[in-house]
Amino acid sequence: MAFVWREALAGLRRNVTMSVAMMLTTAISLGMLGAGLLAVRTIDRTQDLYYSQLAVQVALDEPTSAGDPDCSSPVCTGLRTQLQGDPLVAGVTYESRDQAFQRFLRIYAGQSILQLVRPQSLPATLRVTLKDPTRGDALVAAYTDRPGVRNVVDQRRLVEDLFTFLGSVRNAAFGLASVQALAALLLISNTIQVSAFTRRTEVGIMRLVGATRWYTQVPFLIEAVITGVVGAVLATVGLVLGKLFFIDRLLAGRLISNAIPAVGMSDVLLFVAPLLLVIGAAIATATGYVTLRLYVRN
Amino acid sequence: MLRLENVSKIYPTSARPALDDVSVDVEAGEFVFLIGPSGSGKSTLLRLLLREETPTRGSVYVANWNVARLPNRKVPRLRQRMGCVFQDFRLLPNRSVADNVAFALEVTGKSDHTIRTVVPEMLELVDLTGKADRMPAELSGGEAQRVAIARALANRPLVLLADEPTGNLDPETSDDIMLLLDRINRAGTTVVMATHDRQIVDAMRRRVVELHLGRLARDDARGVYGARR
Repeated sequence: MAFVWREALAGLRRNVTMSVAMMLTTAISLGMLGAGLLAVRTIDRTQDLYYSQLAVQVALDEPTSAGDPDCSSPVCTGLRTQLQGDPLVAGVTYESRDQAFQRFLRIYAGQSILQLVRPQSLPATLRVTLKDPTRGDALVAAYTDRPGVRNVVDQRRLVEDLFTFLGSVRNAAFGLASVQALAALLLISNTIQVSAFTRRTEVGIMRLVGATRWYTQVPFLIEAVITGVVGAVLATVGLVLGKLFFIDRLLAGRLISNAIPAVGMSDVLLFVAPLLLVIGAAIATATGYVTLRLYVRN
Repeated sequence: MLRLENVSKIYPTSARPALDDVSVDVEAGEFVFLIGPSGSGKSTLLRLLLREETPTRGSVYVANWNVARLPNRKVPRLRQRMGCVFQDFRLLPNRSVADNVAFALEVTGKSDHTIRTVVPEMLELVDLTGKADRMPAELSGGEAQRVAIARALANRPLVLLADEPTGNLDPETSDDIMLLLDRINRAGTTVVMATHDRQIVDAMRRRVVELHLGRLARDDARGVYGARR
């Protein structure tokens, strides 16, 4: 066992530039893969966060909205009762015109738009949360143009574009990562071939004195696995630095801080890092094994 | 110990068989010279014994192994019981004399304890005890070949195959190597030596197997190199 490790390390040292190139390429592709994984996780969480808060807003028309602090008018009560009886609906809350105005004041505190807005400009609303947030369309269709209804807005529609965009960012990251992974794969394969070629005398002598495949091939595999593991460690370091100095600052901005949940250190170290380690080692082993099978006579 | 039965070997790139219906039987403890001009099939015969090649026809036996039929994973076991030395020594240039000998033991999975005891024994056998820490580049040809012999014997092989072991050495050094091989043979190891060296063959008076164009031309129990050419 000591022998194969020594051989593997000697192989890495003998070919330092190639080894480093191989590790860096592996690190970059694994890093991009890791970034992609983090993006997926963040997007999923953002989606959960949004969808739990999103509702279908049934805005009431002017006469129904006016002077009704608790939905006691017959039109409003009728609508509420009907919504509560709908099988799609999980809950209904009423926001009166005054409450809407208070919320408006809170959101736009200190901004000049406040001077233009009166409570009368805002409708009273029935906020409808759905059992299945994707079924908002049905509700919009059913309640638009009902008496007393100004319009029905599915808030999910409003943020869909954002998620489509985030989804394509994620796909692009995965796309680049897979191209990069292919490059890493070929580089590992090539390096093992070079490594095997420079050691052909040694391997030839090993075979003559009766060394088993274990002794002639495992050193090359270990070389590949070390590369994969070092690549994964470098990628993780890169992701940690990226989180601390880029993502954290980006998400700390006033505008985004409430919109996108923070990327936790545990996401990087406990979720992504182990995955990268396993993927790095597995890909390197598989590549090494296939290369030895295809190109190196035993 | 070694037996070839009607062995033919045809390389796909060559019209003439490298070996053509050759049968040879070597008993344990024998010393056999394998002679013949270049291209007569000596090396092919040795490669068949080591299972570096498989015969096109016929069977090859080493001890109880049917060499041609041996599954790949058992080939290392066969080679561990066969030592080989070559004209060009094939030492590892970046390892010391002792490490070159230890190498054969390391790659066959021997324990550190075994390695520590066997390596000095082997170096003593070939009379290189004082040069354990030298590098191959610092050795004379004769010394290098003795290291190669020590390495070949480290795993206590049943047979020592030597392919022109004196081919790169001057006559005096060659005589030393022959004395060593003779000593190893008398200690019980079967030796098969391919050679061109008429003087050595004539001086030793051992069994001579001569190949010519892949055919067995002669098999004398106590032969000389012969008058041909």
